[in-house]
Amino acid sequence: MNAYLAQRALAALPVLLGVSLLVFSMLQLVPGDPVRLMLSEFQTTPEQVERLRSQLHLDDPLPVQFGRFVWNASHGDLGTSIRTRRPVAQEIADNLPSTLQLAVAGLVVAAALGVSLGIVAAVKQHSWMELASMLVALLGVSMPSFWLGLLLIFLLSLRLRVFPATGGGDLQHLVLPAVTLGLGAAAILARLTRSSMLEVLRQEYVTTARAKGLLEWVVIARHALKNALIPVVTIFGLQFGQLLAGTFVVETVFGRPGLGRLIIDGILNKDLPIVQGVVLVVAASYVVVNLLVDLLYGVLDPRIRYA
Amino acid sequence: MRSVPAALAALTLVLAACQSQPTVAPGPSATQVGQTAPAAQGQPTIAAKPTSAPAAQTAAKPAQGGTVTIGLDQEPPTLDPEASPSAITFYITSSVGEQLLYLDENRELKPWLAEKWEVGDGSKSFTFTLRKDVTFQDGTPFNANAVKWNFDRVVDPNYKAGGALAQLTGYLGSDIVDDYTVRVRFKDPFVPFLLYAGSPYLPMVSPTATQKQGDQVNQTPVLSGPYKIDEWVPKDHITMSRWDGYKRRAPWSDHDGAGYLDKVIWKFIPEAGTRAATVESGETQMATVFTPQDLQRLQAAGLQVVSTPWVGAPFMMMLNTTQPPTDDMRVRQAILYAVDRDALVSALYKGIGKKAVAPLTAIMLDDPSLQSLYPHDAAKAGQLLDQAGWTTGSDGIRAKNGQRLEFLLNAIDYGGGPDQANELLQGQLRQAGIDVKIKAQARPPWYEDNYHCAANGMTLFLRSGELDALYALYHSSNVGGNFNWSCIKDPEVDKALEQGRQEPDAAKRKQVYLQLEQKLMDMAVGVPLVDQLSVFAMKPNVSGLKFTGNSYPLLTDVAIK
Repeated sequence: MNAYLAQRALAALPVLLGVSLLVFSMLQLVPGDPVRLMLSEFQTTPEQVERLRSQLHLDDPLPVQFGRFVWNASHGDLGTSIRTRRPVAQEIADNLPSTLQLAVAGLVVAAALGVSLGIVAAVKQHSWMELASMLVALLGVSMPSFWLGLLLIFLLSLRLRVFPATGGGDLQHLVLPAVTLGLGAAAILARLTRSSMLEVLRQEYVTTARAKGLLEWVVIARHALKNALIPVVTIFGLQFGQLLAGTFVVETVFGRPGLGRLIIDGILNKDLPIVQGVVLVVAASYVVVNLLVDLLYGVLDPRIRYA
Repeated sequence: MRSVPAALAALTLVLAACQSQPTVAPGPSATQVGQTAPAAQGQPTIAAKPTSAPAAQTAAKPAQGGTVTIGLDQEPPTLDPEASPSAITFYITSSVGEQLLYLDENRELKPWLAEKWEVGDGSKSFTFTLRKDVTFQDGTPFNANAVKWNFDRVVDPNYKAGGALAQLTGYLGSDIVDDYTVRVRFKDPFVPFLLYAGSPYLPMVSPTATQKQGDQVNQTPVLSGPYKIDEWVPKDHITMSRWDGYKRRAPWSDHDGAGYLDKVIWKFIPEAGTRAATVESGETQMATVFTPQDLQRLQAAGLQVVSTPWVGAPFMMMLNTTQPPTDDMRVRQAILYAVDRDALVSALYKGIGKKAVAPLTAIMLDDPSLQSLYPHDAAKAGQLLDQAGWTTGSDGIRAKNGQRLEFLLNAIDYGGGPDQANELLQGQLRQAGIDVKIKAQARPPWYEDNYHCAANGMTLFLRSGELDALYALYHSSNVGGNFNWSCIKDPEVDKALEQGRQEPDAAKRKQVYLQLEQKLMDMAVGVPLVDQLSVFAMKPNVSGLKFTGNSYPLLTDVAIK
């Protein structure tokens, strides 16, 4: 097992390097001078611009700049933001908890809502409950998240004054953003759970369990669900990446601090260190989540074990 | 690259383009990112006063205490005023820092930290006599050494200065005449410096605290004003609280001592709709930057709206004089006649702007002669285009020698599409037979195209309190950098701009700039569109909001009933 983990960890390194190189190259290709952009709101002299460029080491050849980034990153130094002059690692550390909070809350909403709806639809097939749950799934998949977010703010924040519209921090501030984020993912999970459950419920061992006289909920929860969840878990892992991207929009709509706001500002200002740092962190977390998903298989399905 | 003349004035220019944040937000909202040079038009006119009268005017003293949360559309990059490249910093620091001078509503310089001042040596030396009763928020006494330290810090090559650096162009040094007298010297005559000495870029920071705190100055600078910065939670909010050590009276204030409010929380809410909703629901008590639709809704809901005209250059479309077809003055003048500014303002700027007629906003320099220039006249536009050889084609677009009359409009797209003004202008110019193609792109390439004089036009605005704002916009040395995106290199214009920097007499100086404005309009270097307003909406029980001469909010007299 440890060998397997070590192998996976090693395999992650070229992925991270490749992603960094890709982002670095793409940002170089986009026209725009980050130094001039930073000083763009007021009059400057060419000397001031060149001086800042040299202070920020942006006049070094590109391979040198990339090499410096890789070397520093491997020592935990992700550079300094061009715009705010704070260390990138600090900026990320300040914003990561909020985004993680939101992403996890979104996943919880997605899982709880999605799986429940899926189970209901499968178990009560051909009834109005199936129709209702699939309708909710359809809505979740069709509604753009920013529209849903604004709608929830309008209804629950402005009209009914139940939840606050902006900010982060506590549970109260998390509800609306988490629901906005989770609903889309819940929809996909609902449909997948339903079809997977339907298939499992048709299996012979389920019929046997029922014939043995077990209660229906025991049959579903203990015997059918675990197996039905295998494909769902795969999708779940993939959805984490989408959810993380979704947090970027939701953070802006709800005025929540987070990596999304950080990277969007970074892109608009061509703040290369920020963009590289955030992408690296997101890519690394994606790798970790995929590993966890793979390990989870082993738990769910004894046939899968990693030697 | 040309070397820039030593006496460069710092202009705070705000290039507005669109919403501040991408991804969401339907509808345009003018983002003011600008740095305004200290200009002052003191208290701007308060437009659209709501039903409740401000508490300050009643005999009773407003209540002490309370916290007000204000929704801002952007987060500043730093709170160190001399390092900031972004105007949003001054929304916050205007109530926290103090400058040597203060510009009042009549655009007259009044004493602040300096009791009196003298200009000598042909506007190359400025001697300030300082107050003796000022201390910084950390207890350090304020004196001539502090002034010298502050200015020297800005020009230090190791310091990453922001807009403040250009306001000290040609700075040679400061001489300590005695403990409370300091003489600031420049290489060339630099009349604008006095206004800049009263500008939000150059407040006095505490030398002791700033040296001790190092980089922390970007988060919690130590200044000398009525409020102090407590904390900055990134991406969320900045908190400032009353500094009870402030015993004097701020130049604009209705009372001695610090502000009424205990605390002010500046919250960053980039999404316009959300921001408006928070004032309505009470999550914030005040907010700024709204779409006209949101503003109307807020007014209907009974909220107060207080606004002030922005100083600087209005929201305008600059026309590239080097790129065909706008290299032909007749075509540019035709565009000026073809655009219907009244329609644009009523469609997109209701409540947040008025029609603009000149290269500077009306509050900077107004004159009847400017008001009558270029009324909307479709027939006149047609005549000029005919004269220039562009005749109407079968598809309604004019053509000359087989070439269609096409205009490339460079626009910023933050993710929600380009500012709607671009599309409106496109529609209006189509009626004149001009086919406008909008090139919507991200901010970095938008700047590159402008620096390279690649498009026929682009919309922008500038925030600056100094008449010298025109230098960055129209001096020949600023083609390819700064903001001369009309790409003009006219010796007469250059001469007037340089003269404006050296003329010490206020009335004569005004004449120089007025004549320059008229010349720029004759040359049709741009289409002034909207004199924008800085708009704040607040709960009915909040009163006392005032503004600096460069339209930044002042919070010392704000109170909650």
